[in-house]
Amino acid sequence: MNDQQPETRNRSAGSGSPEAFGNGSPPPLILRGGPSPEAIQKQIRLPFRKAVQIAWRNIRVRLARSLLVTSGIILALAFLAYILCSDALARHLAANGPAALIETLRREGTLATLNDADTRTQTWWLVGLALLVSFVGILNAMLMSVTERFSEIGTMKCLGALDSLIVELFLLETTFQGVVGTTIGIGIGLVLAFAEGLILYGSAAWRVVPLGAIAQLVGICALVGIGLTIAGALYPAWRAAKMQPVDAMRTEI
Amino acid sequence: MNSNHDANSNAAAQDSACDLLTVHVVRAIGVRKTYHLGGETVHALRGVHLSVKRGEYVSIMGPSGSGKSTLFNMIGGLDKPDEGRVFIDEVDIAALDAFELAWLRCHKIGYIFQTFNLIPVASALDNVTMPMVLAGMSQADAQDKAVGLLKKVGLGDRLLHKSVELSGGQQQRVAVARALANDPAIILADEPTGNLDLKTGEEVIRILEKLKDEYHVTILTATHDHKMLAASDRVVYLSDGQITSIKNRSELDIKIGHIGKEH
Repeated sequence: MNDQQPETRNRSAGSGSPEAFGNGSPPPLILRGGPSPEAIQKQIRLPFRKAVQIAWRNIRVRLARSLLVTSGIILALAFLAYILCSDALARHLAANGPAALIETLRREGTLATLNDADTRTQTWWLVGLALLVSFVGILNAMLMSVTERFSEIGTMKCLGALDSLIVELFLLETTFQGVVGTTIGIGIGLVLAFAEGLILYGSAAWRVVPLGAIAQLVGICALVGIGLTIAGALYPAWRAAKMQPVDAMRTEI
Repeated sequence: MNSNHDANSNAAAQDSACDLLTVHVVRAIGVRKTYHLGGETVHALRGVHLSVKRGEYVSIMGPSGSGKSTLFNMIGGLDKPDEGRVFIDEVDIAALDAFELAWLRCHKIGYIFQTFNLIPVASALDNVTMPMVLAGMSQADAQDKAVGLLKKVGLGDRLLHKSVELSGGQQQRVAVARALANDPAIILADEPTGNLDLKTGEEVIRILEKLKDEYHVTILTATHDHKMLAASDRVVYLSDGQITSIKNRSELDIKIGHIGKEH
């Protein structure tokens, strides 16, 4: 900034700014009625806490849409968690369960399907599809959300919001939904898998729980869930941020 | 002084000599803008020169399609000219990067729109607080100031109403308070009364006029409504992307023809 001449409004870098007064004449401060002049500065970033507050408010007022997105995530993640967990339970029982149970499992063919390549591929295809559907759902909902808020985004930009803040707000919004959806989804998936285990294997399913494997699958599901939501929100958020305020203002919906 | 002199001579010519010592808060020099719409070329602005002095209330009149909004967007730093330059407070906006432009919008310019453009889900108070929060002011200070501003526009009893719970006139008054939040140098009001009935519109104009002096701001407003010109110090007539005439307040009433020397 222009330290030597704080009274001039020219940027020190802006060589092209015309100066209406000769070099010798004093700056006509007396004639200016307005607030004391200041040099152009760079806009600051909004504190993260504030961005969280705004994003949270945005979710609250559009609760129905939020719940729709969240339920998509819940379904996809519940499915993923269920598949992973029931697989882990079966494998654990097959290795560490009571001999009688293992014998039963072998007789029923459960052990064979456990390692059958075709069945496994099929299952993963299903999981992949569920995740894809959920991803498209998030993408669609967020794009709609951006379209719906064209003028709001434009206004925010006119008030001095940086592109990064717009991205931040949209990402925060989906992250909230992602965290909630993923948590509930994993919970439902685990409960289903254990309930199924109880039916298939009896109380043995509860007695020998593969804690390590479950912690691992919870971690994987959490990563997939959050990754999925952020991936789905990136493009809409980028589109919102890149929108010129003038275009945003012009759009009438 | 360097080559600026040539560039400015045209714009400077329109101002009398006594203006030499007055700082222009807005200067548009030879601004041209062309849009390409589906193979068709639209010349929105064909070389506009305009200087606005600090503390002036200038109305830009013109039918829709005259380039009014385009000129506004240029001056508001929302759009960049193809040719020519725009100075806000003697700063060339074309030379600013995104961060500086955002700062300029936040601190130097207050926007008022025809469609109010309040954040619909936020209260009147939050709407007015928003630009101050973006400017880095603490929440408490921002709220104090916002309450003061809302009282000034006569909405002291509507602080926590959401914008959907406010009438058009009330929403526009919130917008006026919001525009003043960061003590801007200039307020840009694009058809501020376009969505309001006559009485409410006049009320908003009156508030703008009153606050202009109180907050030492310059007001630039676009309109195509003759009834909204009463508060103007100068009226700039724009037609087909060019300024056709500029009238001072005194000349408005008696309607002497053209005084502008533009083209």
